[in-house]
Amino acid sequence: MNIKEKCRVGVSGLAVMLIMSVVSQAASTEKLTVVNQGGAPGDAQRKAVFEPFTAKTGIGIVADTYNQELAKIRAQIETGNLIWDAASVHSLNESIGCDEGLLEPIDWSKLLPEADFKAVGGFGKCGAPYLVSPGGLVYDAERFSGNEAPKSWKDFWNIEKWPGKRGLPYQPDQVLEIALISDGVAPKDVPEVLAKPGGVDRAFAQLEKIKPHIVWWKTGDESMQLLLTKEIAMGYGWQGRVNVANRSNKRNLRIVWEAGYTSAVIYMAVMKGSPRKQEAIELIKYTLAAEPQAHYAELMGYPPANERSFALLSEENRASQPTKFLDRGMMQAGDLYIDFWRDNGDSIRQRFSTFAAR
Amino acid sequence: MQASLEMMGETEIPKMGLRTLVRRAERRHFMTMLALMAPSVIFVALLFVIPILLFLFRSVDNAEIPTLLPKTAVALDTWRDGEIPGEPVFAALASDLHALKGSPDAALLGRRLNFAVPGYRRLITRTVTSLPGTQMASAKETLAAIDKSWLDPVYWRTLKSQSGRITDFYLLSALDLQRGAGGIEKVSGEQAIFMSLYGRTLYTAFGVTALCLLIGYPVAAVMAAARPAVANWLLSLVLIPFWTSLLVRTTAWVVLLQTEGLVNKVLLQLGVISEPLKLMFNTAGVFIAMVHVLLPYMILPVYSVMKGISPVHLRAAASLGANPATVFRTVYLPLTIPGVAAGCTLVFVLSLGFYVTPALVGGPGDQMIGYFIAYFTNSAVNWGLASALGVFLLLLIGVIYLALGKLVGFDKLKVR
Amino acid sequence: MTRSFGDTILATGTRVGLRVFTGVVLAYLVLPILVVVPLSFTSGQLLVFPLPGLSLQWYADFFSNPLWTVALRNSVAIGLTTTALATTIGTMAALGLHNAKFRMKPLVMALLVTPLAAPVVIVAVAMFYFFATLNLVGTYAGVILAHTILALPFVVVTVSATLQSYDPNMTRAGASLGGSPIYVFRTITLPIIAPGIASGALFAFVTSFDEIVIALFVASPQQRTLPRQIFSGVSESISPTIMAAAVILLAVSLALMGVMELLRRRSERLTGGINKQR
Repeated sequence: MNIKEKCRVGVSGLAVMLIMSVVSQAASTEKLTVVNQGGAPGDAQRKAVFEPFTAKTGIGIVADTYNQELAKIRAQIETGNLIWDAASVHSLNESIGCDEGLLEPIDWSKLLPEADFKAVGGFGKCGAPYLVSPGGLVYDAERFSGNEAPKSWKDFWNIEKWPGKRGLPYQPDQVLEIALISDGVAPKDVPEVLAKPGGVDRAFAQLEKIKPHIVWWKTGDESMQLLLTKEIAMGYGWQGRVNVANRSNKRNLRIVWEAGYTSAVIYMAVMKGSPRKQEAIELIKYTLAAEPQAHYAELMGYPPANERSFALLSEENRASQPTKFLDRGMMQAGDLYIDFWRDNGDSIRQRFSTFAAR
Repeated sequence: MQASLEMMGETEIPKMGLRTLVRRAERRHFMTMLALMAPSVIFVALLFVIPILLFLFRSVDNAEIPTLLPKTAVALDTWRDGEIPGEPVFAALASDLHALKGSPDAALLGRRLNFAVPGYRRLITRTVTSLPGTQMASAKETLAAIDKSWLDPVYWRTLKSQSGRITDFYLLSALDLQRGAGGIEKVSGEQAIFMSLYGRTLYTAFGVTALCLLIGYPVAAVMAAARPAVANWLLSLVLIPFWTSLLVRTTAWVVLLQTEGLVNKVLLQLGVISEPLKLMFNTAGVFIAMVHVLLPYMILPVYSVMKGISPVHLRAAASLGANPATVFRTVYLPLTIPGVAAGCTLVFVLSLGFYVTPALVGGPGDQMIGYFIAYFTNSAVNWGLASALGVFLLLLIGVIYLALGKLVGFDKLKVR
Repeated sequence: MTRSFGDTILATGTRVGLRVFTGVVLAYLVLPILVVVPLSFTSGQLLVFPLPGLSLQWYADFFSNPLWTVALRNSVAIGLTTTALATTIGTMAALGLHNAKFRMKPLVMALLVTPLAAPVVIVAVAMFYFFATLNLVGTYAGVILAHTILALPFVVVTVSATLQSYDPNMTRAGASLGGSPIYVFRTITLPIIAPGIASGALFAFVTSFDEIVIALFVASPQQRTLPRQIFSGVSESISPTIMAAAVILLAVSLALMGVMELLRRRSERLTGGINKQR
């Protein structure tokens, strides 16, 4: 083959590649594109929701992942260049996205029985809650057992009795709330105390007390590694992570629900102006139904958002849920909470990053 | 070109004169060359220069407020700081806000003002939703009844200072400054993060550059002194990391530096340490990985300059009785300065803009400007601030280029 | 001839010390990269030494998981298109710059290489905003155009460097024999500078193939590239599949580096031969 021929082959190869990529893009637009957080929760959603949904309705689903970067939604809406049809959004983004016209306002109470979702705060103006992610005080039961086990966030702050490092996420939300709980605030009062003048200062002052002992982590994976390697004596951790860590490492990490915990609520919402709004609504309705919810909960360990799903859970899974301590949970939702973080989130994050770096 | 000149020559030279002809041919040649350059130049201008300029413009762009509050912006012209504005200003605001009822613009306006004063968003939302209608006896009383905050000059000061098409708000914020009652002032200590961010970025870039120079210089010297065959091998070894994807290298370091990682395992087994070192998510990790990524950028230019130094100079100096240290200091080192300058510029400038490596191996306290640009773009959606940080990062780089670029010249930046 | 400092005047002790130091530094440069290779063949779930056993399961996982195969296909498609685009216009620009004399020349050269000097994160963010207004975010065209901007300087610089050592008398000779400019270019200039163009093309391909920051900002899932897929894996949890992906990326880079080396030698031979005739 001489050079000319080679060039010709190369050029035609390129053309084929280009056409292929264009065609594949066109083909994929026939499907519903859904964005979620990826990773293990994304896998679980694919198995428990997307695949059975496609089998049932014939609607194909392309999953994308993002880290709740609202900018990625905003760019699509503002330019009318929609990539996604439905998005998984946490409570703060649900509220912002809805107000700023990035998500479709949908009256979910007309489509789904609202009573089933009362416990997780009900429907949003745009989104419907499909996932609850509680996080609490986690310790290694092989390390502390019986009476030695920590029982409250006060114990978490007690370095003398439980020497060792403490793991906390590198973010102010959830951390400030926990600091207030450790300072004696009842979990359900936390949003109110935090929003009052001096509330944030009080939380930071509380954090200051154990500052030298804090190890900040950035991913859920890391939060569990720190515990598994005994680098920290105890830490904050999310339920799904603890479950997976225990299962795949045959360990016995425990969450102290009675100490009080935070509970993030994640919603599914339809992107504003999606040409596949109806299909997206169908998918969300399916996501929130009792069976897929239970299936998802079995895979990830997180409690279902739909109350009727609890009946479908395995004995073992039900025992790991904080059902007995619902009154100790602080829901990261509700107007008071959302308004507070929307107004003060930026300045608190700035303050937090100077605090952590100091 | 020459060919066409000759072909025409036989018939046309007598009529036009040689000079005109040559000039015309030259012009044609020049136009052809220009046409060859055009696609690239247009491409870079359109898809690189313009986007960068538009991005930088966002740091002063303030279209939102004058567009959404047109009457208020005009009415506030005569307002003096420190006092509560009169009825006309309140009426203008009430009318502007009323027009935003039910539109997502109200939320956008609230978000924009909330950058300046936390809580402004809720004030706007509440006012917009509770405004009764356009007909009211006193707009001042109506607004004050909805929220007392409207009687606080702080909110009006913010509105006024933000009501122009151009704002210095983001640039000031990126310098930890703000406009208060008495003009420009420093923000409170808890909110001041950017000056220390520049400090940290410069410190990391300096540290990485110094380490690269200390490690890279002797290695380059050994390579330059080696036999050609050996030198070729050594060069290949330096080029391997150079060609390897940044991400593969960073991934490798994540595997090695984890608490359970290889480095700790080996050190523990050798008995060098008794408990695992914390090598990741801290400054040590960032330095180890960044020096690894950038070292070839130091070695290659220094090596290429060293290779060109004739050993005759050195032998001459040595034969005149100078000891090796003196030869090094007075002859060798000065000759290698261009390479060192090129290497240092490259490493320094590249490390200023680093984002991926610190994001993956660094801890919260190790993130540099690049990280915050990405953060304000994607997560905080404060595009003005992202742009202002970009302005200062480019300024830093520009200064470095001007300072060191004189020594080096752009053409030395040939290495990948 | 190339021996400069060390062998000429340094004492043996210092010389040996320097060589040992060099060895250590080169080990620091190369070994960490190679560590991913054995780990990708582990039969276990964890990234630990000693390996519990050897297995190809992670490669099997890589090639059976659509996330990874699509990413690989995207990387290749985007890389090839970027290469074609950047090499074509970059070579044209280098030829134009080389053959034209005008005052603005250094400025044009500077303009064409500035994408190298600007931090990628700024380029990526700026393009994200700009492309968003043009509906190019999340399209193949957007990613390819952005990658072409980053790859273009390498082509311009490499081809320009090759042209420096190209003897213009060759063109004149061809022209004086009656060849049209295009014919002369195709039959004389192009074959001689071909290795330089090929090097530029390789640089362009590697730039696109390894690129991550643009991919993070401008690409959507449909254009998910290999580096981006690795990035999301690393920031979450590192599995041996990521090691397999890294090894594939590494193998491509090293193969291209080998080709580059061959081209360099060939180019040295070609231009060296011509220079001797001069």
